[in-house]
Amino acid sequence: MAAVQEDGSSVTSSSHESSPWMRRSPGLGSPSPWIRELGSEERGLCLIRLLQECAVHVGTGSMENANLGLEHISHLASPDGDTMQRIAAYFTQALADRMLKGWPGLHKALNSTKLSSVSEEVLVQKLFFEFCPFLKVAYLITNQAIIEAMEGEKVVHIIDLYSIEPAQWINLLQMISARPEGPPHLKITGIHEQKGVLEQMALQLVEEADRLDIPFQFNPIVCKLENLDLESLGVKTGEALAVSSILKLHSLLATDDDMLRRDSPVALKNLQKVFHNRQRPLREFLDKDLINLYLASLDSTSTSSPLSLCASPKMESFLSSLWSLSPKLMVITEQEADHNGFTLMERVKKALNFYAALFDCLDSAVSRAPIERHKIEKMLFGEEIKNIIACEGAERKDRHEKLEKWISRLELAGFGRVPFSYYSRLQAGRLLQISNYGGYNFKEENGCFVICWKSIPLFSVSAWRRWSN
Amino acid sequence: MMSGESFSVASSIGGFGQEVQNTNPNPNPAAKKKRNLPGTPDPDAEVIALSPKTLMATNRFVCEICNKGFQRDQNLQLHRRGHNLPWKLRQRTNKEVRKKVYICPEKTCVHHDPSRALGDLTGIKKHFSRKHGEKKWKCEKCSKKYAVQSDWKAHSKTCGTREYKCDCGTLFSRKDSFITHRAFCDALADESARLTSLAAANNLNFGNDSMNDTVINPQPGLPLGASQFGSGFRPELSGMAINGNSLGVDQQKPRLSLWLNQANSQLNPTDMMGNSHLYASSSSTAFPEMMQAVSGNLFGSSSMPNFGNFNNQQFQGFDKSVSTSTNASLSLSALPHEMKEEGNKGNLVETLSSLYSDSQKKQSKPSMPMSATALLQKAAQMGSTTSNPSSIFGNSFGVMSSSSSNTTTSFNTVNQNRNELHQALQNSKQQAAENFTASGSVDGMLRSSNLSSLTTSTNSFDQLMMQTSGKQSDPVALKNHPGSNAIENSLTRDFLGMGGRESQRPFLAQELAKFASMSSAMGLSQFTGNH
Repeated sequence: MAAVQEDGSSVTSSSHESSPWMRRSPGLGSPSPWIRELGSEERGLCLIRLLQECAVHVGTGSMENANLGLEHISHLASPDGDTMQRIAAYFTQALADRMLKGWPGLHKALNSTKLSSVSEEVLVQKLFFEFCPFLKVAYLITNQAIIEAMEGEKVVHIIDLYSIEPAQWINLLQMISARPEGPPHLKITGIHEQKGVLEQMALQLVEEADRLDIPFQFNPIVCKLENLDLESLGVKTGEALAVSSILKLHSLLATDDDMLRRDSPVALKNLQKVFHNRQRPLREFLDKDLINLYLASLDSTSTSSPLSLCASPKMESFLSSLWSLSPKLMVITEQEADHNGFTLMERVKKALNFYAALFDCLDSAVSRAPIERHKIEKMLFGEEIKNIIACEGAERKDRHEKLEKWISRLELAGFGRVPFSYYSRLQAGRLLQISNYGGYNFKEENGCFVICWKSIPLFSVSAWRRWSN
Repeated sequence: MMSGESFSVASSIGGFGQEVQNTNPNPNPAAKKKRNLPGTPDPDAEVIALSPKTLMATNRFVCEICNKGFQRDQNLQLHRRGHNLPWKLRQRTNKEVRKKVYICPEKTCVHHDPSRALGDLTGIKKHFSRKHGEKKWKCEKCSKKYAVQSDWKAHSKTCGTREYKCDCGTLFSRKDSFITHRAFCDALADESARLTSLAAANNLNFGNDSMNDTVINPQPGLPLGASQFGSGFRPELSGMAINGNSLGVDQQKPRLSLWLNQANSQLNPTDMMGNSHLYASSSSTAFPEMMQAVSGNLFGSSSMPNFGNFNNQQFQGFDKSVSTSTNASLSLSALPHEMKEEGNKGNLVETLSSLYSDSQKKQSKPSMPMSATALLQKAAQMGSTTSNPSSIFGNSFGVMSSSSSNTTTSFNTVNQNRNELHQALQNSKQQAAENFTASGSVDGMLRSSNLSSLTTSTNSFDQLMMQTSGKQSDPVALKNHPGSNAIENSLTRDFLGMGGRESQRPFLAQELAKFASMSSAMGLSQFTGNH
């Protein structure tokens, strides 16, 4: 039984009645009644297929087919349907955004009346913090690592690369005031693009520090992370420096990809040069060097190997300035996903898996607060998805990478891993256990934490210090 | 202990074997003799550094008259009496006794720093043996070795007497380490998942009864068939009972029974798993709230002081505004006192959470609302099992092409490519994958023959999905590094195959991937070795 068409144009040889959804293959331009027959599972599977096909079309530039794909999906997706429908809605929006960028004037016109509301952004971050345990665990682990590393220090200076949630530092203030040798003089430098956020942060932190009688100083720096000049931060010698980066470091990976691909052997050589300056043990040197040389010799325009990292000038220079500040500890929390692939298809596939898990997780946490869920999905996840899919080059900031790549990057830059204490593992584990309705767990990988939902890795936390020989 | 400004430790240690100068005195006299935290000495104590030899010497007390050595000071005094010393010398000099603290002579040790000295001579001796000495004492039963005799004696008393055994087979002698382990034990999670799924209905009823019992009458019953957990649950139960009581017994019971009745009624039709849906989304009533309330309080009472504070201070307000129906009125201030050990909390919650998470896991099997991740896995699996994926896509593209009024030539190319695809299907995965990226990875480059590239690319995409689905359908395997590495390898192999050089590439790329992953593992492991 071939698929039914309303307009009479026939489907070509359909010798595949066996496949269940093929029977319901969409007719053209017709919102077929068959759609209503689909059960939610079948609809979900259909959506997945359609999404992937559409992404392929978009990737290869066949706009008409992509348009058709989007049309089909629009009948099935919805921002307030079930999880898969919602995910599909955000993904198609991102794909459409990408397509529209091919008409820059149109794209700009459509977005010309958009006002980004700072308070909404802050609210959404707060909601995410409250409903999902990921940020809480990250803060907990970060603060515990800081306390442990700063044992005995009298002056502690913390640089927060994305300073938005006061709860993190309030927690630290409380923990540090309970130190047996008394609290140190604490200085926190918070970096954020918006002044209002930092002001609010300063207010709350100073209030808490006063209450706990801790000598405290908050240094707001209003600028974008990529424009940050670390030298100007006023890190004095003798201060014990800690750096905390929560879900923000990857934005420094943004670079103009085309330039990258062309100059890749140069990039590799730069990496090697950076290596040499760090005076690492010879063996490691040789291992990594060998790989790089081998790669370079194989193919002068190839940029990828299992180990190779997209050389990102911004990241390299940032890490090397950080290194020269000699931080005692650097704790980095990142999404555990590879959303920095070169091709769109790759990114779509990986993002589908990652955000499916994240949407499921959020759904289970906030199932009875659909407005808040919608806010988080739309303004937080949706924006990330849009950035991953629709943007390229320097505009694409949400370049999540997996832990192993971060490890390579940081080791290349001269940092060594700091293991987490048993106590922090314990605390993190407990916090995850009692969160929401369960389903969270974490595992250790390469001495770093990976926080998972239903065993799907979602976020990684790693601690570093300046490697000294 | 000390609050306010931190102090600086300015002492420097001369050679070993000498008695050394003080730490900076910080006027903070202790009113009564209280025990400091280990390794945090009284600042106006005298720091004494002894050499390893002196530390380990057995006869430290030497009579000055006859040079006889004794292990204890009292024995020496007793001996000196026998020398008929004049009265004055017999008395101990009564100057003010300064408290002495000792540092470990081992330079790399934490306690080598005067600010972390230990307060007791016996303590420092034992510490030195334990950490930096050789282990001469061995337990007969379990062959565990000890450096200090008293440790060895203490251990052999309890060795094998009382043991906790986790279902995964590990043995514990201490209750707290056992409980901590259980919290993280993977085997246990699987086990409990199986148990709860098998006996879901039974557990419900059982749970219902026991819950009602505890609500009325705080008894050490066991919640929800969690019979495998120990008696440490009592505090939690009574806590939860208090919880229920504060709600009012009447409120509690009907709510629970309502929930459970719903569950039961849903049990009857096809799936036992139907109720899992209930747990997950609609079981709004008592249980999740209690869970939240319990968790909220666990936060507050546990030694993670501060997120608990957040929860209560900052975000209870948030909760109200956010319209989740947490009963903040469930004032659980009584609870912290009930909860003895944190490990127990973890366990209680673990049962509950495993119940929930397990039921959510079950959701992935039946046809009721599937989680998105489960759908994706299923899609990947389906992609690998469909007999003729190329034809499906070819078909739909055929449809599209006819509608988008392309010429018949493009239609022919579709057919041609379909044939090519059939061949490609016969070939190895790698080749197909490379075909994919040869066309798909370069955006827009093959615009001219977009349909053909589409068919090849989507088919190979399926191949790729087949590869990765093998990994995805087994989440345990995903945890391992090699798994994800392999995916990376397969993908990157494709990139190297870019530009039509597939014929020469496959072998080299594979070799490269192997080499790189091997040496990366080597390099990294060496690094961690250096740690």
